[in-house]
Amino acid sequence: MHGIAYDAIHDEFTVPQQFGQAILTYRGGANGEVRPIRIIQGPHTQLDAPEHLDVDAVHNEIYVPTRHGTILVFPRDGEGDVAPIRVLGGSDTLLGSDEPLAVDPVHNLLLSGGRTGRGEDRRTMLLIFNRTDSGNVKPKAVIGGPKSHLNAFGGPFTVYPPKGEIIVSVRGTGPNADMSSDDAYVGVWSIDDNGDVPPKFTIGGPRGLLRMPRGIALDIKNRDMLVSDKRLNAVLTFHFPEMF
Amino acid sequence: MRRLDSRIRLQGIIDAHVGGIRKLLLRSAWATGFCLVACVALITDLGLGWQLPFLNKLPGGAQLISYDSLPSEDGEECAYQPVSEALPPYAGTTPLRNALMQARIAETSPADLSQRRPIYTIRDPYAAYSAVAVDNAHNEVVLTDENLFNLWVYDRTAKTAPEASTEPKRLIGGLNTKIEFQCGLYIDPANGDIYAVNNDTIDTLVVFSRQAIGDVKPDRELHTPHGTFGIAVDEGAKELFLTVQHDNAIVVFSKSAKGITSPLRVIQGDHTGLADPHGMALDTRNNLLFVTNHGSTHSVRAQPGARRREEIAGWPLTRDDAVPGSGRILPPSITVYAKDARGDAAPLRVIQGPRTQMDWPTAIAVDPDRDEIFVANDGGNSVLVFNASASGDAAPIRVLKGARSLVSNPTGVYLDKTNNELWVASFGNHIAAVYPPTANGDVPPLRIIRSAPPNQPVPGLGNPHPLAYDTKREQILVPN
Repeated sequence: MHGIAYDAIHDEFTVPQQFGQAILTYRGGANGEVRPIRIIQGPHTQLDAPEHLDVDAVHNEIYVPTRHGTILVFPRDGEGDVAPIRVLGGSDTLLGSDEPLAVDPVHNLLLSGGRTGRGEDRRTMLLIFNRTDSGNVKPKAVIGGPKSHLNAFGGPFTVYPPKGEIIVSVRGTGPNADMSSDDAYVGVWSIDDNGDVPPKFTIGGPRGLLRMPRGIALDIKNRDMLVSDKRLNAVLTFHFPEMF
Repeated sequence: MRRLDSRIRLQGIIDAHVGGIRKLLLRSAWATGFCLVACVALITDLGLGWQLPFLNKLPGGAQLISYDSLPSEDGEECAYQPVSEALPPYAGTTPLRNALMQARIAETSPADLSQRRPIYTIRDPYAAYSAVAVDNAHNEVVLTDENLFNLWVYDRTAKTAPEASTEPKRLIGGLNTKIEFQCGLYIDPANGDIYAVNNDTIDTLVVFSRQAIGDVKPDRELHTPHGTFGIAVDEGAKELFLTVQHDNAIVVFSKSAKGITSPLRVIQGDHTGLADPHGMALDTRNNLLFVTNHGSTHSVRAQPGARRREEIAGWPLTRDDAVPGSGRILPPSITVYAKDARGDAAPLRVIQGPRTQMDWPTAIAVDPDRDEIFVANDGGNSVLVFNASASGDAAPIRVLKGARSLVSNPTGVYLDKTNNELWVASFGNHIAAVYPPTANGDVPPLRIIRSAPPNQPVPGLGNPHPLAYDTKREQILVPN
């Protein structure tokens, strides 16, 4: 399972169920073997192998990337075989397959991973769209390039709207990069960035503790950043007041 | 005491650090409070928005520096304006933003917090056993470990002291081994080679000889489809079977296959009943293949023009060929096939239904002599034993479960026919335990192997990926 979003307004959390091609929403605090309160699944959904998602609790929408380079948008309280209310996709979008994404409901932005090329020619990018973009539209901004040090996404990223910051786990390089790298780190960019821009912060690496960072979450009250690391098989909490 | 005018009373209230004024406050608190309110009201009425320097004469402590009057509340109400509309336009259209961006690009490095250490870490320092197999020729038991990514080899009859962990004979692990989140295990009875199945982070089956120790490269590697889980080997036919979770498939390779090679055959399709297949067991006497399924599945069709991550002849169709909107979430099951089944082959039998008690059935072992199958029932904290010829909504004939049994989220089973023992690897408590195959109910094990001292907490992390923070409960949500 490569995605989860907690909705603090409605006290729910939502996950993608990849093998069953479904979006499952549970009550916050759900424990044990309990059924989801809502399931989005069926032929009209266009879900193929959902890996990531984000929930916009302000505008009541769920965003799900597909394997075919689109982002499907569903109503947050959608249930059953519902069609997406918007689909973002097409060659101009630069969207890759099942890329991580995040929604900034304050600035009305949709941030997504993107990529061009394959194999050694693959370039990883951070794409910034208007939240309500639909169809084959170009991103408003594209962050990527050698100075950005955006090697590859480690996992889902997150956004901190009060400061307009995007917090991204970045895989490292090297011969064992698919397992572990001391180049890995978590980087912070701004929603105002565009082009080949380095992160304004790097934490946990490069040449730090992180080896294969994955997911990111924020504890705003304590000004902490939480990050999972696959190789360490651990969840780490960094005190990170600088970004808040 | 000199009589104080109203302004100095106000001053006195503000600076509570001056001892004499403190006494005054105590003596005339009500009068002082009245004067404070009166003074503020007077100043407000006069519309005085200027600084009041006379209040700054007192040394130290808090001091009123300035104040501004509130705006008039007369006139029309402000129209609601969403926060987003109040923010300036995005990205590079204002001089300040442009300057900030250029400054960032010109910086030699970002704010470098690379060496900052975490304040908390959730991590299990001990091995979490996932799969188990016995090497009868050398009287050893081998366990995979999905936490520290090691292969642990123990004496089969090792006894563990009550408050200690068990000492291994040898250990294989490290980056060179390409071991990570291993969930399936096979021991070659002829030479003791260890076949270890990586799950969904490394698409490689690795094979180690009995001489392997420490951080060594595998003696052989086989590229596999993404998401392999269970393994079974037909020594007679020299064929190696693997389940593939993500593609709802079974692939069969030559037992000696290595590198990038095409499988001999594939079982995949809507009629197979494969639904997130996990464990696998071969009954070579009756030419049967048993597979456990967790239940989630979808259809695949070769999609013309699909951009596939790899193209290998004979490979199963992958998520790149998933039919959108075809997903189903079915009850868990055991599907039984002819050993040489291929393509979209329907199972010969299906065991499925609420009476089965199956809940994330994982590893499986078969005993053709007793016509029984043993299932590590992860979600049910039990080992279920069925008649191997069962079909439909069949209840298990025995259930090993309970606090004394020490079965906790079991993911590995192995039936040692030579010594008439049943091994169970429990992911939930750092224990691999041995039972009589006929064990039923809450039966304590005959022996245990333990990676940690007793009662150590088990975080249960296995490939943590996304995270969410529940602000209401101040809890971290970690899907694995």
